[in-house]
Amino acid sequence: MSRTDMTLVQWPVVEEDLRLTLVELCQACSAEEEHVLAWVLEGVLEPAGASPQDWTFGGESLRRARLALRLSRDLEINPPGVALALDLLDEIAALRARLQRAGVD
Amino acid sequence: MKFKDYYEILGVPRNAAQDDVKHAYRRLARKYHPDVSKDPDAEARFKELGEAYTVLKDPEKRAAYDQMGSQWKTGQDFQPPPGWDAGFEFSGGDFGAGLGGDHSDFFEALFGRHAKAGQRAHMRAQGRDHHAKVLIDLADAYHGARRGISLRMPVLDAQGRVTMQERTLEVGIPKGIHAGQHLRLAGQGAPGLGGGAAGDLYLEIAFKPDPQFRADGRDVYVNLPLAPWEAALGAAVTAPTPEGEVQLTIPPGSAAGRLLRLKSRGIPGKPPGDLDVTLGIALPPADSDAARDAYRAMAKAFDFNPRAPKKG
Repeated sequence: MSRTDMTLVQWPVVEEDLRLTLVELCQACSAEEEHVLAWVLEGVLEPAGASPQDWTFGGESLRRARLALRLSRDLEINPPGVALALDLLDEIAALRARLQRAGVD
Repeated sequence: MKFKDYYEILGVPRNAAQDDVKHAYRRLARKYHPDVSKDPDAEARFKELGEAYTVLKDPEKRAAYDQMGSQWKTGQDFQPPPGWDAGFEFSGGDFGAGLGGDHSDFFEALFGRHAKAGQRAHMRAQGRDHHAKVLIDLADAYHGARRGISLRMPVLDAQGRVTMQERTLEVGIPKGIHAGQHLRLAGQGAPGLGGGAAGDLYLEIAFKPDPQFRADGRDVYVNLPLAPWEAALGAAVTAPTPEGEVQLTIPPGSAAGRLLRLKSRGIPGKPPGDLDVTLGIALPPADSDAARDAYRAMAKAFDFNPRAPKKG
């Protein structure tokens, strides 16, 4: 399994160029479908499309889903707890960005 | 190999009940989780906690570990006695995420060879997707770049043991990418089983720490020190940007902390980021008679009390 030589390919930027299906998102995060479904119900992830088969997730869902998976696995938090933690982490990130913008970091 | 005292790591006595082990782990895990903690050692501490918990939460592994005796201390040189786990049965399989390549030598020596259980199914399956983080220069995001990236990944050898395999990939860094974004390298993840397709490799982009610039999304921040007279009288100065120097006009009467926003001089994209220049004022040192005279002349020239109560 030596794959050291490869010609230079321009790989897509997930957050800019891709939307992921439910299956792709689960595969990318090694997450069970039922977890992703629970996170969608709690508003952690917001796919477009009517039913799970048609769902597509924006590229930024990859980061959120991985974070949700780590928190629920490592800290044994249930989906509502994961949703709360992600909301608070988003808020902290926004506040830190404002501090940085103000030059107080 | 160094001994690891898993009880000490979790801060529980050797006779702690399973529930106490669980609560101790959760409390420390919340404190040191790398996604939550700002502690610089958080990642290492968290890995250690996870390893300790993996062993102590599982009655089989805990019993086998306990059998080693309580005379061992963390950091002592250690070799597992031959046949140390005789008489213990491991259900195996449950080793958390990944292939366990993250565990310490100590853990691998004691429990590593059991990790193969449940991993080898004779079926056709797509390989797992892998994730790695790559550090690039901020300038790479401005211009795009070609970077060789070394990756280590845990693979199972023919005997089902976990070994680390190293490989190098040439990756095109697209112009406009920023920290936190991911590249998807299709088919560069783990090989498939039984003829299944290989998984994908996701590379998370992060910027190398830069002494001058900070980035948030596509916006970039830099501090620009000025001499007091430049700030007071206005000046044309040269300012650094990640794509080279620019000429900047400092308006007269600029105070420290004033922000000059250079539109679209951040990381390129749609829309491009901005480059925010925060002005600072640096005082020349009063280290010669001439310099001290100049300060005295200033004191005489101004009727200036910086601590005077603000009007209004």
